[in-house]
This record gives sequence, structure tokens and C-alpha cells, in this order.
Amino acid sequence: MTRQNGGAPLECATPLEPAVLMEYWLALLPAVEEAAVEEHLFGCDDCGDRLRETIELSEGLRSLARSGSLRVVVGDGLVRHAVDAGLRVREYAFAPGQTVACTVSADDELLVARLAADLSGAARVDLSFCDPLGVERQRMTDIPVGSEAGSVVLQESLTFAKGSPSTTMIARLLAIDPKGDERLLGEYTFQHTRTIPGPPEWEW
Amino acid sequence: MNVDVSDAELAQRIVSGDAAAEAEVCHRMGPRIRLYGLRHLRSAAAADDLVQQVLLKTLEALRAGRLRDADKLAPFVLGTCRMTVLDQRRGARRQEQLLEEFGAVLVPEQREMPHLDGERLARCVQALKERERTVVVMTFYDEDTAAESGRVLGISEANVRVIRHRAIRQLRACMETVS
Repeated sequence: MTRQNGGAPLECATPLEPAVLMEYWLALLPAVEEAAVEEHLFGCDDCGDRLRETIELSEGLRSLARSGSLRVVVGDGLVRHAVDAGLRVREYAFAPGQTVACTVSADDELLVARLAADLSGAARVDLSFCDPLGVERQRMTDIPVGSEAGSVVLQESLTFAKGSPSTTMIARLLAIDPKGDERLLGEYTFQHTRTIPGPPEWEW
Repeated sequence: MNVDVSDAELAQRIVSGDAAAEAEVCHRMGPRIRLYGLRHLRSAAAADDLVQQVLLKTLEALRAGRLRDADKLAPFVLGTCRMTVLDQRRGARRQEQLLEEFGAVLVPEQREMPHLDGERLARCVQALKERERTVVVMTFYDEDTAAESGRVLGISEANVRVIRHRAIRQLRACMETVS
């Protein structure tokens, strides 16, 4: 329900698109478009309600993005920002073929693995997670990598890592060609030692 | 006050000293001003302050008959919002005397924000494709990291925008599906 121009209640005849509302909230609109959105909002409570929903979604996503609970490929800038903001960041750097002993503590706020690889020429890159026997248990398909990037920055889920028993996990970066054939770009072995109390082991 | 009363009629009544019309203007414009404040000041407390300041200026102007075109109340309030935020950014502080004069009657109506299920949102984000999840995380983590999304992905800003739109649309659909 809206009161277009302060008059009788009306449904908004020209509702603002959700994408426009999100870009308005994120301050990503050009000035002219932003002004037009604000003029609309000042005459339309329907779209004001939609903006409130957008704000709530945006704040939820911001909280989630900063929680460190997602497994996601990120950029260096995010890690730098986290460090600058004073977060407790635990970072492990891997060369191809390297095994690294790693852990996570209860007060860590961001967990990052930097996987070095020559990614040039790879049209599609997958990141495969395998158990100690090399059997694939999970795959991140078509991960985002810049053409000039010399590494993949993986934010590992703190929720997953903090609940993980001592175990070995093998990560593989794979180039996938248009026919679907795989080429190994790098293999990285995580030897995780649990430091937080919990079950001794789990099923993959 | 009946919601059928137009902005123009309210403005005219305020000139003649109608207190109920003033209350209706506050009721009508307060939530809109607050949204503007949330967007530009990024703080609920600052947005609440903005509501008071803008309503005070608006009522002052209306009482004094300074709104030349009564049909233009909403644009006038929006303009006042913009000027007030500009003034704030210049460090100008002159509202205390006005607040003393008008007191607490101008406390804005708080429209309840919709509730979001964080756990469901996390599941929906985890279900996105890898590129979409990266764009979402980089976009919402920080303004600077939002600008970095294209470089991480090795694609243009325009493509980042397309991916972000698609991801947000999927998240909305996912949240509606599971709720």
C-alpha cells in the first residue's frame, strides 16, 4: 500500500526494480539515477517497503560475508581488509605439491589458503577436495580466477574447520578443457590437527 | 488524520496552525526520511537524527508559508534531506536550538524492518555457483572489495553487475522458496 504523492492509498504503478534498489542501497548507481530513485521513494511507500526488504537482505549478506563461515574463492583485497580491520586471520600458503600442517583455533575469524598455480590458459578451473585416499568428496566447479593470477585464494569455512577432527584433506586445482578433459594444475595437502575439542573423527 | 488528505492540503492546513496536519506530515514523511538517512549516513542513530532535523526544518518552513507550491511537499522534504546531509558533512551543527523549541514530539515513527533468517540465507548463498558466491561476498564485505570483484574474476565491471543481479535474484527466490 502506498500514498502516491500523499493522496489516497495506491499500489505503485511503476515499482522500482529489486536490482535498482540494491544498487541504490550499495551506492552503485550513477548520480542521475540515484536522484530519480530518491524522488520516487519520497512519493511511494510501497517502494519504501521494498527498500527495507533490500536493506535487510543486504545487511544479512554483509554479516554472512564477514562471518568467515563460507567456503568461497575471494580476492587479496578481502584478506587485506580483514587484517586491517584487526580480524584474527589465519593464512596458509601452498606451493603445488606441498603438504602443510595446519590447524584453527577458537578465536580465529578468517581462515585462508593461498594455492599457487600457473593458471594461464585455463578456460575453466575446478577445485576438487579429496579424502586421504584421493577420492573426490566435493568439487567447486568453475571457480573465479583472473587470467593473470598466480594463485587461488580460498576462504575456508570456519564452521567446517573448527568442527573438523584431525585429518588429511587433498585439494586439487584442475583445468578443464572444452571437451571436459582435466589437467592437474596443482595438488595441495592439508594436514589438519584439531586443537578445539570435538568428536575424534567424522564421515565425509 | 485521513490518509486521503493530500500533501498539498496538509501544507495549507499547517500554515493556518493545524497541529494534526503537522503530526500527519511527520507520520507520512518520517519513514521516508529515515530510509534516506540509512542510505546516506549508514547509521540508524544518524538516520533518526536526520528525521528530526528535516521534520523540524520542514515544519518551520510550512508554518512560515515558505513552501511556494503546496503540491511539492515531498520534493521539498527530499531537498531538505539532501541539504541537511551536506550540512552535516561540512560539520554544521545548528539543530540544538530547534530541538529545544520543538522537543520530543518529532520522534519518528519506527517502521519495523523485515526479519531475515540468517541460516537460510547462508544455505542459499552456499547454493550459488562459485562465481556468483564470490561476487556476493566481495560486494557485501566492503565497498573496496566490491570494486575488486572484477579483477578477481578477470571480467569487466558490467559483467560483475550482471552476475550480481543474477545472484541477488536467485537469493530472493531461494529465500521465498524455503520460507
